[in-house]
Amino acid sequence: MTTTLKDLRPVYVVGAGWHRYQNPSDNPYVALGLKATRDALEDAAIEWRAVDTAYIATALLPMAPGRAILRHLGASGVELIHIENASASGSAAFRKACIEVASGISDVALVLGVDKHGSHPRGRGEAIAGIGNLADDAIVPFTHFSLLADQYAQRHGVSHEDIARVAVKNHGNGAKNPNAQRQQARTLDEVVGGRKVSGNFTTLQCTPVGEGAAAVIVASEDAIRRLGIAGSKPIRVSGSAGRSQRVYDNPTAYDASLTAETTEIALRQAGLAPKDIDIVELHDAFTVEEVEYVEAMGFCPAGQAVPLLKEGAWDINGKCAVNPSGGLIAMGHPIGPTGVGQIGEIVLQLRGEAGLRQHKPARVGLAHMVGVGAVCYVHTLQKD
Amino acid sequence: MRALKPQLYTIPASGETPALCGGTCACGHVFFPMQRYGCEKCGKTGDALTPTLLKGEGTLVASSRVLMHARKDRQAPFVVLSVKLKGGPVVRTLLAEDTDEFLPAGLQLKACLVEVDGPADGEKRLDLRFAPAA
Repeated sequence: MTTTLKDLRPVYVVGAGWHRYQNPSDNPYVALGLKATRDALEDAAIEWRAVDTAYIATALLPMAPGRAILRHLGASGVELIHIENASASGSAAFRKACIEVASGISDVALVLGVDKHGSHPRGRGEAIAGIGNLADDAIVPFTHFSLLADQYAQRHGVSHEDIARVAVKNHGNGAKNPNAQRQQARTLDEVVGGRKVSGNFTTLQCTPVGEGAAAVIVASEDAIRRLGIAGSKPIRVSGSAGRSQRVYDNPTAYDASLTAETTEIALRQAGLAPKDIDIVELHDAFTVEEVEYVEAMGFCPAGQAVPLLKEGAWDINGKCAVNPSGGLIAMGHPIGPTGVGQIGEIVLQLRGEAGLRQHKPARVGLAHMVGVGAVCYVHTLQKD
Repeated sequence: MRALKPQLYTIPASGETPALCGGTCACGHVFFPMQRYGCEKCGKTGDALTPTLLKGEGTLVASSRVLMHARKDRQAPFVVLSVKLKGGPVVRTLLAEDTDEFLPAGLQLKACLVEVDGPADGEKRLDLRFAPAA
């Protein structure tokens, strides 16, 4: 019999911080990581010495960058664990930190995602697995998802302009987020009229990969009491699930199938149904992903995501706010920080501290990431 | 002329359609390309995995015309396809000739060989593509 997060002692997110996601710069990753970590500690109003364990999520930096960052907070001897899990690195690190605190091994954990595009480019493991491929380098991520967009549009009879409305919504949300890489609202004409990259995708329908950092502090009830953390800060982590790709009956829908089964596990663990979710931060690296995933998660029937998008159901203050941060399309996708930043956004929303992009009411949030389609993480967070 | 990727497809006698070098597991799972690491569905390995020639025929699942590509050795534009092979898995491959025409899902496709640059300077090889069936 296995144990899930809900069988263990409660865990909470008590602090969140960012270094703004941005285009690659000369600013060293150490400065990015320190800014996010210090802001998360300040948000929780705790000292670095109160942290028992630290998880560092990174997919683009060289080996073991954690100590190079965290020693500048005072080298406390805290355990440092580095996690690489493609786009879902931050989500995986968050899950492992929650499990460690829930188990009682640690009371307070830092989860820091930090990355710099181009600093230490790594290929994909699959590319050097020794198994050939007909199209080799021809299919980069935007083409993989452009193929899915063509399939979705033909299957459901929707236009590519309608799918592009995801980007209009998310650029609008990003314009209200001081930590977003892209902070400019865009019209549909601007989105579809931009430079085409593959199929009907233009650059504004694709995530920018730059640099940045995001950090959250995970704590037990004991730690919250002992450290005197303010009652308005803690947000409960009620469900956590991580899965990897299987062989599905529909081989072209593996991203959505993996999302569906991972979401179902996390919701069941938390005792929630899709209708209970107020806020979703999901992996919208490309517009079509958002419509595919809200359907896979059970927020609407297949083929209904686009009509609901046009009605404003996924807007801030709509039926369910999807990617109020701006999502990967506007907030950006520095890789390691992305999944951590999603958790931080949901925490701000559930506390009512999201400013211009506040969704009301917000009591339950869900965070979702996939990593090269091969891994998927879903977390649910709730205001007690 | 030699194949660019001989482990992935056959070069048939003139006029015939190339076949894809796939595999079948004892559990019934059909996969491409052939590999002996182990079955993705059940984990069996060794003699459970049998090389299987898959017909170079199928139907279009989706397509995308790539307009921006970072690598210098493959010039955009080109068209990428998802193809459901007859009696086989879905593979991702390239359309034989670039086009900006709409390609409807369900379009019948056939494998063919086209001349491409080989690994050595000035060398030519044959590589597999798909094209609409006549």
